[in-house]
Amino acid sequence: MEHTTLAHHLLLAGLLFAAGLTGVIIRRNLLVVYMCLELMLAAATLALVAFSRFNNTMDGAVLVFFVITVAAAEVAVGLALIVALYRRTGTVSSDQLNTLCD
Amino acid sequence: MPDPLFVFFAALTLGAAGLLVLSRNAVTSAMGMILALVGIAAEFFLLDAYFLGVLQILVYAGAVMVLFLFIIMLLNTDKPETKYPWMKAAGGLAVFLFLSAGVIALILHSGALDKVAGPTPPELSNNPAEFSTAAKAFGRLLYTKYMLPLQMAGLLLLLALVGVVNLSKDAKPNA
Amino acid sequence: MENNLLDWILFLPLASAAICGLVFRQSGSVAGVISIGSAIVNSVLALFLLTNLKAGDAITWSREICRFGETSLTVGYSVDQYSALMLFVVTFVGAWIHLFSWGYMRDDGARGRYFAGLSLFMFSILGIVLANGLVMTFVFWELVGFCSYMLIAHYFDKDFAAAASKKAFIVNRIGDLGFILGIAACLSLYGTTDFDALKVAVAAKPAPALVGFLLLGGFIGKSAQFPLHVWLTDAMAGPTPVSALIHAATMVAAGVFLMARIFFVLHPDVLQLCLWSGAAMAALAGLCALAQTDIKKSLAYSTLAHLGIMGAALGLGHPELALLHMATHACFKATLFLGAGSIIHGCHHEQDMLRMGGLAKKMPITFATFLVATLSNCAVPFLAGWYSKDAILEAAHEHGVLVFALLSMAALATCLYSGRMIRLVFMGDARSEASTHAHESPWTMLLPLIVLGLGYSVFAGNYIGIPAASVSVLPAPMHFHFGAASIVGLGSLIFGFFGALWFYGRSKGDALRDASPMIYGALERRWMDNLYDGYVARVQQPLIEALAFIDLALINGIGGKILGAGIPAGLGALSRRLFHTGSARVNAAWFAIGALLIAALLLGIL
Repeated sequence: MEHTTLAHHLLLAGLLFAAGLTGVIIRRNLLVVYMCLELMLAAATLALVAFSRFNNTMDGAVLVFFVITVAAAEVAVGLALIVALYRRTGTVSSDQLNTLCD
Repeated sequence: MPDPLFVFFAALTLGAAGLLVLSRNAVTSAMGMILALVGIAAEFFLLDAYFLGVLQILVYAGAVMVLFLFIIMLLNTDKPETKYPWMKAAGGLAVFLFLSAGVIALILHSGALDKVAGPTPPELSNNPAEFSTAAKAFGRLLYTKYMLPLQMAGLLLLLALVGVVNLSKDAKPNA
Repeated sequence: MENNLLDWILFLPLASAAICGLVFRQSGSVAGVISIGSAIVNSVLALFLLTNLKAGDAITWSREICRFGETSLTVGYSVDQYSALMLFVVTFVGAWIHLFSWGYMRDDGARGRYFAGLSLFMFSILGIVLANGLVMTFVFWELVGFCSYMLIAHYFDKDFAAAASKKAFIVNRIGDLGFILGIAACLSLYGTTDFDALKVAVAAKPAPALVGFLLLGGFIGKSAQFPLHVWLTDAMAGPTPVSALIHAATMVAAGVFLMARIFFVLHPDVLQLCLWSGAAMAALAGLCALAQTDIKKSLAYSTLAHLGIMGAALGLGHPELALLHMATHACFKATLFLGAGSIIHGCHHEQDMLRMGGLAKKMPITFATFLVATLSNCAVPFLAGWYSKDAILEAAHEHGVLVFALLSMAALATCLYSGRMIRLVFMGDARSEASTHAHESPWTMLLPLIVLGLGYSVFAGNYIGIPAASVSVLPAPMHFHFGAASIVGLGSLIFGFFGALWFYGRSKGDALRDASPMIYGALERRWMDNLYDGYVARVQQPLIEALAFIDLALINGIGGKILGAGIPAGLGALSRRLFHTGSARVNAAWFAIGALLIAALLLGIL
């Protein structure tokens, strides 16, 4: 702990965030895209906890609590949307869901 | 040199994230996601945020990912290709490098790192809610300073519940 | 105690609307019971309020909802005896119309939505009556407009109903633009929109005519005054009870009520406008009713005529007479519309009067009530309509010859179309299959007719406690000396009513059309609609085309020619390749790059 600095945690969080964003950009399967979004959220919570710990304040940690709550609600609604979309169009590939393009 | 445990879990988390992003099979992706979330929970433990770590495993790795797995298996959309698309993976790596370079540049320039070893910043120093490992500290803050957000979070969960029920009702065909 | 009572009166219909609309959309019977029950309870509460409110008393209660600097907006109640009377009329007529709907709409598939709409309408109109200021009035005013829209479009799968609801909504918006500007003017001049505070402020500093004209806009739209009257006749596309409740008895009367309430703001010039447009419309609309074969449209023109009379009464400086006429008119016109509903129901949804006939024997109770309401409409002495109409004629007589002539014309026209209606619908022989097999309506439809028609249209004048209270509210306009007004009234009654009975008995079809197609055609023609169509086609359309031409010629044409087609085309192709690929992943990538750039800018790196 003594030798692990804030920078290390932020670096890890940043890399995880970038990995998640990469997934969002390159993946076609909406479910995987959705998981990548969750990974980005988790990376952000890691940064928040690190800030909270290193600044010796509880607020960041409480914020993480809310992030987890919101993420849970969001996953429920998002997955329901994906299922509804699949029922209607028969696909979860973002490349085929381009009705709004033209 | 950072804590070896930190290094270990950081490597685990990043590797799992790579699995999540690069795997062709959605179930494998979900496994990678679970592993990554457990790794992040471990980092929480290392940061003394035990409560959040437990919460992370329970809510995310437990409930949320099970939901994901259910849906993946329900939709069963995997069409395994014969060959792994290495070119695409390389393209993904390029995107990743570009983005992480951007993110790291932002972190380095943000000035957040200057405060690493310093004491609690003055604007926070008179904050009675000092960092604590006790779950009680959460409770106290949630029911005092964050009362309104807490209520709103409850309302949000309720709305999500209603919304999901409404969304997953059988829509009339061609309606 | 009173506050509590008002809360109940106001929010009971809302609760009923919410329950009907959200829970019982599919089960119309339950929704109907809830809605009818709430309406009846409401009318009892309103009666209780009316009888307990002593002369000169007023209940006021208000609470601030927001404050901008010096200006504060409040909501609250302000009930004096006028509004208690209006409250009673609305809830009483409304309750019977709710009951009537039970029978009339029995076979309708969307009863849940219908009753929810009725309850919501009751809530909105009560909000207007109870409101303590212009802002709250405006909110409920718009809500009333919405309910009207929703109920006219009850048969929304029919094109004409959808078009009629749109028309009503849009025409009302035009008037409401004036209304909201008027509110803004009040706010900027006096810093308040509460009626009481406004009254004090206006007494200290009279309002300029402009404010009155702007506020008059709301009245013109909602009460279908000339030139925005065009929506009312089309609004008959809705179910008949809706026409009775909204477009005859209450909503159109809301404008009159509002004008009476803010009478102190109105400049004499505004009153002049109100007087002349009202009187002219009263005369013309009454004549136009002669050229309608649809029974509901004919009644709608009759409503227009009466609204014109109310407008004229306002213009004459007698808001209390306008209110009295509104109250009596609400009862007999609701009866007429409900009677029309009963007839339409009995004749298997036949609305053409020329295809009816001889219904007096087949629908005796409907005939009796319809006849009584018609006579009340014609201002037969000692029936309800006589008290208010005669008093207004009297006031017109004192004012001047021309107004008196116009209103006398309106009175004569009223008797003419009334006689025509009775003759065509109830007398003679049946002129179609449907009217041959007509049958009397069920009791839920007859009871409202009997109560409203026989009970109220006849005795509203000076018997029974309720109407007596309503009359005693008014500062004694009831001095009936045998003057010019009475002579004209009686003369037009005898000549018009019986003349029409005789005249329309002469031919199989419409006697006037046979006698003089030109006059009939002139009356039937919808001048204002044509005018508006002409405006849209000749003025608005060319303007828009000119704008489109400028857009195309200058921006596309010249811009394209001078700068060369190459650059825009190249840019277009580039943006198509880069941005508009239709792929969510590309969008996500651009989003990521944009987010990085913005973060970098915010941190001062770039």
